[in-house]
Formats: sequence, C-alpha cells, structure tokens
Amino acid sequence: MAKSTHEPVAELRQVTKMFGSKKAVNQVSFTIEKGSITAILGPNGAGKSTAISMLLGLKDVSEGEVLLFGGSPQDLRVREKIGAMLQEVSVMDGLRTREIINFIRGYYPNPLSLEEIADLSGLTTEELNKWAVKMSGGQKRKLSFALAIAGNPELLFFDEPTVGLDTTARRQFWKTVRQLADQGKTILFTTHYLQEADDMADRILLFHQGQVTADGTPEDIKAKLTRRSISFIVDADHEQVKKLLHEVPGVTDVYEQGGRLNAVTDDTDTALAALFRAGLAVHDVRIDQGSLDEAFDQLTMEQGEAV
Amino acid sequence: MTTWKLITLQCKMELLRMVRNPYYIFWSLAMPILFYFIFTRVVNTGADDAGQWQAHYLMSMASFSVMGTAIMSLGIRLVQERVQGWAVYMRVTPLPGSVYFFGKMFVQTVMHLLCIIVIFVAGYLINGVSLTIGQWLLSGLWILIASVPFLAIGTLIGSMKRVDTASGVSNGIYLGLAITGGMWFPIEAMPSIMQTIGKWMPSYHFGGGAWSIVRGEAPGLNNFLVLAGYLAVFMILSTYIRKKQQAD
Repeated sequence: MAKSTHEPVAELRQVTKMFGSKKAVNQVSFTIEKGSITAILGPNGAGKSTAISMLLGLKDVSEGEVLLFGGSPQDLRVREKIGAMLQEVSVMDGLRTREIINFIRGYYPNPLSLEEIADLSGLTTEELNKWAVKMSGGQKRKLSFALAIAGNPELLFFDEPTVGLDTTARRQFWKTVRQLADQGKTILFTTHYLQEADDMADRILLFHQGQVTADGTPEDIKAKLTRRSISFIVDADHEQVKKLLHEVPGVTDVYEQGGRLNAVTDDTDTALAALFRAGLAVHDVRIDQGSLDEAFDQLTMEQGEAV
Repeated sequence: MTTWKLITLQCKMELLRMVRNPYYIFWSLAMPILFYFIFTRVVNTGADDAGQWQAHYLMSMASFSVMGTAIMSLGIRLVQERVQGWAVYMRVTPLPGSVYFFGKMFVQTVMHLLCIIVIFVAGYLINGVSLTIGQWLLSGLWILIASVPFLAIGTLIGSMKRVDTASGVSNGIYLGLAITGGMWFPIEAMPSIMQTIGKWMPSYHFGGGAWSIVRGEAPGLNNFLVLAGYLAVFMILSTYIRKKQQAD
C-alpha cells in the first residue's frame, strides 16, 4: 500500500450540484491525501461522475467549493499536475496515435517519454503508428490511459476505467495503476464494482443518491454494508410501521420486499422491542446477517429503480 | 509552458489535420468554381459589361466559398470534437481554452486564404479576369477579414449537440445566406421584397465590400457597420450559450 502523507491534494467542501431541481450531488465534502488510492464506489446514477467532473473543473458547482492542490481546477498550473481518463473515449481524426501522444506531451512541463508511456499503457509500436480513429475500442482505452499519464501527473483520475474491458485487460490495468501508486502518485477512481474498490483502494467513499453515505477503509465499508436486519410480516398499515421503525435508534433503512417489511439496523433487539411495544401483530420474524454482495446489490438495485 | 510554444504546437496540430483531410477543402472549392464556370461561360446572363460581370461574379464566388468554409467546416468540426469527448478532454489538460480556439481560427484563416487564391486563379484562367494588383490584394484581404462574422456563426453551430443537426442547419444557413445575399444571382434581379430582405443580410455586405473594390470603389460604411453588428450579436449569443453549457 502506498503511504499517504496527510497533505491534501484534492478537496470538495460542502459541494452540491443541481440538475434542474434534482440534486445529483448533495452537500458532499471529502479530502484526498497525497499518495492515497481512493475509490468512489456506488451504483450508476449515484453522482460519482458528477463529483469527478466538478473536481476536474468540467462542471461548475451549484454550491460549495472545489480545491485541487489548494487552487482552482481551472488554474493551468494546477492542470499541469493532473491527468484524467474520462468515460468518453477521446480520439482525434487526421492524426496517428503516436502524434496525438506527442502533442499532448507538449502541453506539460515535464512529460513522460514516449517509451515510458507506451510501456505503461501497453501500446505496441504497431498501435502507435495507427490512425487514432481506426483503433478498436480496447485500443482507444489504452490511448486514453496513455494520454492521462502523458504529462507525468501527480494526481490521476479514472472515471469507470474498466467498464467494457475483459478480465485480462482489467487485471493488466490495475497492475499498472498499482505501479503508478508505488511511485507515489495519488489516485482517485470511480467504480460500481465493490470487488475492484476492495482490491485496489486504501479508502472507499460510498456514494448513494448524491451523498457520501460511508467513508473509510475497505474493511470499515464492508462492516457497514453487512449490517444486520430484521424482516417480518405484519397485518397493519405498512406505511405506519415504516414510520415507527424509522424513529427507532440504529435503524438506517426500512423497505418492503415480497410482502415482508425489512429493517436494517445494528441493534436488532431494540427494533424488535419497539415493534412488540407498539402491540403490532408481527409474525414470521427473521433476523438476517446479510452477505456483502447481497448488501451491495440491494443498494445498487434500489438506486437502479429510482433512476 | 510558454504560451508561444503552446500556440505553435496547436497550430501545427491543426494544420496537419487540415492537410490530411482534403474533403472539406475540395467541397468549398468545387461548387463555387463550377458555378463560376456556368454563370460566366455557359449561361448568357446578358450583362452589359461582360468583363465587369466576370469580376463581380468572381468576388461572389470567392465570398461564397469562404463563407461556406467558415460556417460549415468550423461548426461541424467543433461539434464532432465535442461529441467524441475530445473537447472535454482538452479542458483537463493545461492547454488554455483560448489557445485551442486560436488554433482553430488559425487553420480556418489558412483555409480561407487557400480558397481565395484558388478561386482568383480560377477566375483568371477561365475568363482572364484582369484587375489591378491593388484590387486583387484589397478584395482578397476584404474577404479574409470580413469573414469573421461567419466564423462566429460557425462557432454558434459548433455549440450544437449532434453532428447531424449541425450539418443540416449549417447547410441551410449557408445556402440561405448565399441566395438572399445575392451571391448566386445579384439581388437587383430579384423581386423588391427579396431586395429589401437581402440588404439586411450579412452575406450581402460581405460580398458587397468585394463588389465595390472591383468596381474601383471602397467598401461602404454600411458594409462595415452591418457586419460589425452581426458579429457583436453572434459573439454575445455564443458567450451566453457557452456559459449555460458549462453550468449544466
């Protein structure tokens, strides 16, 4: 694991982003420390890419403040220190891969050499000589990665970097990212795969409906995700029972599934006590210790339906 | 990085791309030259002074060509680069947006110059159009400089979301401006309502400056004023749109 030095390189302060009346990102604050590998984990539509876009200065914030290296992401001196691989694959017509990389290298004061870039991105000599527009999807991803590292940046952004990559390419990608991290680079990436975040990151920011719902080491996050829950059948107005449960301390979520009410809580005893105290006709009570994948799928599914 | 080095780099990149994509150049030259040939050699337009008509129509076609390059190739290119995600990527790099834009304007100017030279040469070869050195230079310079409002239209087209829309709209604007502004046929030959409309078109004043020069006169003050007015409106519009897109 790379060592972080507590020196902040990127910071969101109370940032909100509105699209019309919808809050894509809602009051989010976090600080990224130098040398860390951070994953922004969350389902599609959770606001991950919007957060990255604001950090990169591609989208204005509706409220709050964004700082990169203590300055604005729009500052050219700041941009000399960052590299990004965005979701849209960037190519330019009329140029060969090698030429594009060399032009981009020219924008930075201390770029990597073409050899180093080719080596890290896995671009072959044949691919370097190809017209950029004629490359396959996988090759364009390699080019996109090559452009992200071309300027030898201190801070690297990867927005959903492995979507559409096969297993081999995915493994290769993370191996290279690990290599960059070992050189002391700070890395921030988004993903909706828990496995990737767990394997790669030393810190996970869990995004849910535009908010950071958890922030910690992969171990912390896993513990949080695998919370215990109770489920039961009740012959009463579900909305009222839900309301009651929401008021119980420790209950973080209440939802209905297959005619059963479920309540997620650390303290199942208190929740049960509250139900019985209310004199509700509760039966077929179950207490579950959900698996990690289930818990994450649950989160993802809910979000998927909401979008 | 020094700005000068970035500018050189960017201009070099855009030039390389222009030279390798002769498609745009071909279309901005082929149609005007074909038109020129037809309306000065094939169709008898019954002009009183054939030499005057040949010089006048040469200016029409040179302006027509440059206007097309400014509106179509700039606009469609900008949309393409945004749709492909390239323009967004550029905003993450330390290249100032102004230098990126300058590179585009530089290569447009080179293309415009190329269009003017080739069409002037075609006029000389097809009809032996003879103007004084001063007239050749001044009319060429006028077309080069007065094309700026049309570059602003190209930039506006460039803010569109889809290449298809941009392509359709820019074609429509291009041909509409050419016809109403008297580039294809002099507006004096049109119904009076069309003449009234035409006299307010930027294309009429764009061609108008060059027509004056080959008649041995200076471009009128109204040519300058109308073009400057349109430029101001297009620039305000385009700034407004860019601000709005950034906020989304």
